Formats: sequence, structure tokens, C-alpha cells
Amino acid sequence: MAYLIHLAILFAIYAILGMSLNLVVGYTGLLSITHAAFYGIGAYTTAILLTKTGAGFFTSLILGIFITIAVSFLVGIVLSKFKGDYYSIGTLGFNTIVFAIFLNWQNLTRGPLGIPGISRPKLFGINFDNNFVFLILALVFLILVYFVSRFIVNSSFGRVLKAIREDETAIAVFGYNTLYFKLIIFIISAVIAATAGSLFASYITFVDPSGFQLMESVFILAIIILGGLANLRGPILGALFLTLLPEILRFVGFPADIAAQMRQVIYGVILVLLMLYRPQGLVGEYKL
Amino acid sequence: MKILETKNLIKRFNGVNAVDRLSIKIEKGQITGIIGPNGSGKTTLINLLSGVLVLDDGEVILNKTKKLSRILPYQIFSYGITRTFQNVRLFEQMTVLDNILVVITERNAFSSLFEKHTEYHYKLAKEILQKVGLWEKKNQLAVNLSYGQRKLLEIARALAMKAEIYLFDEPFAGLFPEMRKVVSDIVQGLKRKNKTIILVEHDMGLIREICDYVIVMNEGKLLAEGKPADVLKKREVIEAYLGN
Amino acid sequence: MDIIPQLILNSVIAGAIYTLVALGFNLIYGTAKFSNLAHGVIAAIGGYAVFYLTKTLNLNVYIAIILGVTLAGLVGWASNKFIYLPLRKRKASNMILFIASLGVMTALQAIIAMLFSSQFKTLSQDIGTQKLFKIFGGVITQTQVIILSSTIFIIAGLALLLYKTRFGKAVRAINDDEEAAQIIGINTNKIIGLVFFIGSAIAGLAGILIGFDTGIEPTMGLDLLFKGMVTSIIGGAGNIYGGILGGFLIGFVENFSIWRISGEWKDAIVFMLLIVFLIFRPRGIINK
Repeated sequence: MAYLIHLAILFAIYAILGMSLNLVVGYTGLLSITHAAFYGIGAYTTAILLTKTGAGFFTSLILGIFITIAVSFLVGIVLSKFKGDYYSIGTLGFNTIVFAIFLNWQNLTRGPLGIPGISRPKLFGINFDNNFVFLILALVFLILVYFVSRFIVNSSFGRVLKAIREDETAIAVFGYNTLYFKLIIFIISAVIAATAGSLFASYITFVDPSGFQLMESVFILAIIILGGLANLRGPILGALFLTLLPEILRFVGFPADIAAQMRQVIYGVILVLLMLYRPQGLVGEYKL
Repeated sequence: MKILETKNLIKRFNGVNAVDRLSIKIEKGQITGIIGPNGSGKTTLINLLSGVLVLDDGEVILNKTKKLSRILPYQIFSYGITRTFQNVRLFEQMTVLDNILVVITERNAFSSLFEKHTEYHYKLAKEILQKVGLWEKKNQLAVNLSYGQRKLLEIARALAMKAEIYLFDEPFAGLFPEMRKVVSDIVQGLKRKNKTIILVEHDMGLIREICDYVIVMNEGKLLAEGKPADVLKKREVIEAYLGN
Repeated sequence: MDIIPQLILNSVIAGAIYTLVALGFNLIYGTAKFSNLAHGVIAAIGGYAVFYLTKTLNLNVYIAIILGVTLAGLVGWASNKFIYLPLRKRKASNMILFIASLGVMTALQAIIAMLFSSQFKTLSQDIGTQKLFKIFGGVITQTQVIILSSTIFIIAGLALLLYKTRFGKAVRAINDDEEAAQIIGINTNKIIGLVFFIGSAIAGLAGILIGFDTGIEPTMGLDLLFKGMVTSIIGGAGNIYGGILGGFLIGFVENFSIWRISGEWKDAIVFMLLIVFLIFRPRGIINK
């Protein structure tokens, strides 16, 4: 039972990550492979603030959001100069640079040693050390993110995003400065990912750079492609499936370190199979 | 009144001037046809005027006052210019209704987050779609429409701009006579409202029928201009077409 | 001051490797018109194949190299035949191809890690007893001489192939316009398949050479991919010879930046170079 709760929390965090990436990839058509970077910024901000200062979880969340807004704004501006494949390659590069910072700025992040001893949130005396209570918190965040995404997607802004995905030039000539639209959704998406990061840091109580590499970004991408792009339920289904997958593998009896690699093989194979046979994933509204 | 002029417009591709020192003047309230053999630069011209391609040299003058050497696509709306595309560029995986709504709702990125389309937008979209006879299909995805319906939706989208200058790139191509009449009526209806239309076309019959003025391009340059009947008789124009 | 000649030598060696990777990457990009993200891991396959053949099966090292290069080429050829070709046949978008190659890279990298563990391994038979040569005030090993000569050999060979054979002519025709090439009777699918084989084989060779020079690890492919992509972008995408300039530029930037800045940041620096290029000179050094 305790293990199920643990899985459910991970599911919630990855569903949040998936929903955030879906806004950029599924609705706007920008193949961004760098979300682990923002996930990491949120996680490390919470980790550093909670261990080195007396600040609380929610304060760290807000600071993480501000930092993410600044970083994603700059990155978004730089990336806006790249077209097509180069955009995606640029995002890969950015993820690599951020990972290098997590790994090498040891004064701040303790590098590969990571930051242990992150405390759970403190709010109105609620005991978040209890995992079940933390699960509720994570689900509250998930529901919030769901409604925010729904609000964005159903607005005029959301409709323009879809048009950008379909044909950016065609929507531009009708008076829409697509740069601003892309930048805003990129920032919003990054902020949501950072929020998931803060949750993660406080839950696991330990962060280290390995969780924020390129492969993590690929994993989040796999979640939304499997679940289906441009559909609010897609990331939820995808996260459900891909968080349960490792457990099925454990059942089958793979030893621990092989299991991690096996998982990665499966993600890769799933991506290829989806592209070949079902690019719209489970419930996707956008066929790649 | 010359609502739009170009002065020595140049666009280069791989060392060739697709548009070569082109200087033309477009009269307000008229239907001006742009004709010429394939590759003469007609679509490139439309792309330059709509900011889809960047000018390498020259300038565009609007309303005799605004001189532009750089045009960004999203700016043409504020200049009162709109366009259609030769190979129809609709928002394929969006509905017919959304294809219209998306170009008439709030343009300011930040404010548009807080807007769901209003009654006004809905009514305007309905009016436009009814005019082209696509209202019944409002919930169909654009990708599922027939060719003729797609062309009509493309035009409807431009009509929704209520612009001053319309750049139509081969709006009649591939249409059956009944559809052609619909499009022709729309174009002439715009002229009756004193709007300016620049029409790229290949069908000489149509050009003769509805254009007030014709500009002939060849190899990126201005070859001839004048009233349709006069221009289409000119030797150099006939040679340009036959020669290619 | 006398570190400079050594740095220059190191830069040239690194540049040679990156050039090899970029050459293969560019060949494939030129014909198939997409960025094959699996290119780096195919280099790793070459290295690991030779490792297995020499250390485990005790095969003669020259035979092992030939087999390793061939295996790398075959993997590349197969990925095209069974994945990319079917996708291109149904006019799949670049995003689909990109994601598919991302999946291939992810899966292959994990398979290597499963089979060989994530430890760093070296291919050289006899550590520390390599012949050293003194040139221009610096020192290079025998392996490094082989790296340089292989690169020159491949560059020359490729030039001959592309410009003096019928095959090369067909390749260049496909580069210009695949449809037109088909119309005049070129079997474009077969030729592209061969291009994948050749490009991947060259990558495999690069992986083997690195294995002898420094060593191999499962994630080496990612690093090589980035450097290869950055090289080919800086040199001008698809431009075979721009890749050479780009390769050496990266080699120099990397090695000279290690001199002044700590070595861990070199990836980030290379990426910043890429970003600078993409902003100011997106068509690469050689602007046709």
C-alpha cells in the first residue's frame, strides 16, 4: 500500500510535467526537448532554499517560479531564432548546458553528491511527512495544472497556438505576432515544470543532477506522445502507463540496474513504434 | 489614388533576381491583375508585399505616405492588407469555424489568454461563412473539405479581415464554373465597396472579364501594363508566354 | 607557453574525430534530409563491437575493426530500411523522423549499457607502451597518428566517391532534388540506403578510433552526436566540406577553453558556440 502511494505521487508529478510539455509540443507544435532543465531548476531552488535557509516550501516554489520565468524568457528568445530541426537541437543544447551547471557549480549544488535532507512542506501544521498527505498535495497541484491548461487551451490564445502549429506564417499574416505567443506559452510551460520539480525535491528529500539529464526530457516527451498530443487527458494516460511500466518490469524479475536500462530501451522502442504505427498516441487530437 | 506602389523591388534567390527592380503602381478601388508566365515572379511579389519573404532591396509605399523597406508578416494587418495563398494554407486540423475565429479574435498575445471568443466574433464568423456557403460545415475539420470548399474557406478567411487591400494568389485555380462565379461575385463585391484587389491569375478570360488594369511580369521584371484588352494584344506579352 | 603546441595538436586530433562524425552525419542529412539523432550511438556501436571482438573473442584487431565498421554501417542501413524509409514513404513530417531517431538513439544506448555496463572501457591492447612522436614541440601517440591519417584518407575517399563515380553523381543528384533524381531513373531508395551504410560506417570508425585513443562508454554517442551536429551546422548543414572546417573549429574551441576554464564546462561552451552561430550565421561558415 505504501508503495502504491509512492507510485501515485510519482505519477502525479510526471502527469504535471507531461501537461506542461503538451502545451508547447502538442498545442503549439514546438518540439522542445529540454523540460528536464526547468524541472531541475524548480527542484534545485527548493533543495537549496530549504536546506541552506529557513525558507519554507511555498516560498521556494515562488522563488523557483521567478527564476524559471527569467531563464525561460531568455531561452525562449534565443530559441525563437531557430527554425525546424534547429529549434529542437537548440533545446537539446540548452538541456545539456543546464545539466552541466547542476553538475559543475559545486558551490551551489554540491555537484554529483547532490543535496540531501530536504524537508517536506509545512503548512497550517499539516503533516506532509506522511506520504498519503503528500499525495493529496500532489493531486491538488495536478488538478490545478489541469484547470490552468484547460483555461489556456480554450481561450483565444489557445486557438492561436493551434494555428501556429498548423501553419505559423499563415496565422502571422492575419496580424498575430507569433513570437509573443510562443514565448508566453514556453514560459508558462517552464513554470509548471519547475513546480513539479519543487514537489519532487520535497517529496524525495534528495536531489542530484542525474534526474535532470537529457534522457529525462526524452521520457517526458515519450509520456505525451504515448498519451496523445493536444489532448488534456493524454499526458495523464501517458504518465499512468509509463510510471506503472517499471513496476511491471520488476515483477518480471529484472535485476535493479538492468531494469533502469530496460526501461530506457522500452521508451525508445515505444517512441519508434508510435511514430510508425500510431503517431496520435492513445487519445491524441493532433496527428504528427 | 495610388494606394500601393513599389519602387525598385528586388528579391534574390541563389543569385537569380526572382523580382528584379520592380516598380508598379496600384490604383485604389480597382481590380489589378498580375499575369505572366510561370516563374515570372508573381507569387514572389505577393510574398514580398505580405512580408512572407524579406525584401532584398527597394521599398513599398502605402497610401502615398508610408514608406516601407521592411515588412513583417504580422504587420500587414495593421496596414490594411490581407492575402490568400496559391497553395491553400488552411489550419488543417482545426474546424471551419475555428479557421475563421482564430483570425478575428484578440491579437494581443497576453490579453488573448483571458478571452474566450465573444458573441461578436461568433456572429462575424457566421456572417462570413454564410456568405461563402460554408456555415453548414462549420464543425468539419478543414482537412476534410473538398478542394473547392478549401479555396472558399481560404477566401473567407481573408474577407474576415475587412481589409483595404486584398492580395489574391490564383483564387480561381482548379475551380468548377459554379465556384468560379461565387469567387468572381465576391471579388467584384469587394470592388463595389471601393476595396483594392491585386489578383494573380492565369486565366486570360477571367482577367479580361473582371480586371480594370493588368500588370505583366516576366523574369521578375515589369514587361507591360495597361487595360486588359490592350495588354493582351501586345506582341511582347504573347511572346513571353509562347517563348516559355 | 610551451603548452600551446600540445594544445594545437590536441585540437587537431579532436577536430579530426568530430570531422569524421560530421562527415557521416552530413552525408545522411544531404540525401535523406533529416538529422539522424542515432548517428552518435552508432559510433559507440562501432567502438563496442571492436571491444567485444578483441577483448572477449580475442579476434585479430584488424579484423575486429573491419567487422566493427561494417556492423555500424549495417545498423545505420537497417534503421533506414525498417524505420526511416517507411516513414519517408508516407511523407512523414520532419518531427516524426526526428522523434523516431530519438527513439532509436535512446533504445540503442540503453542496450549497449545493458550488455556492457556503464563503465568506461578502453580498446587499446597495451596501455602506456604506445609509440610517441614529437612534432612541433608537442607529443602525439601512434593511435592519434592513425586518427589523423584515417580522417585524411576518408575525406579523400569521400571526395573521390562523390565526384568521380556514378554512385557519387547519383548521391549529388538526390541531394539536389530527390524527385527529379527518381524521374531520371535513379533508384533513390537503394542509394539512400547505401548512403546510410557509408555514413554510419564512418561514424563507427570514429567510435573505434576514440576507443583506442581514450576509451568508450555507453553515453559517448550523445557527446559525439552533439559535436557532430554542431560541426555540421557550423560548417553549413549538408555541406560536406564545411564539416571539416567546423570540426577543427570545435576541436580548437574545446581544447583551448579547457586551458583557461575548467574542463567540465567544455560541452556548455561548445553549445554556446552553436547558439552564437545559429543566431548570427545560420547557414554556417561557408555561405554558399
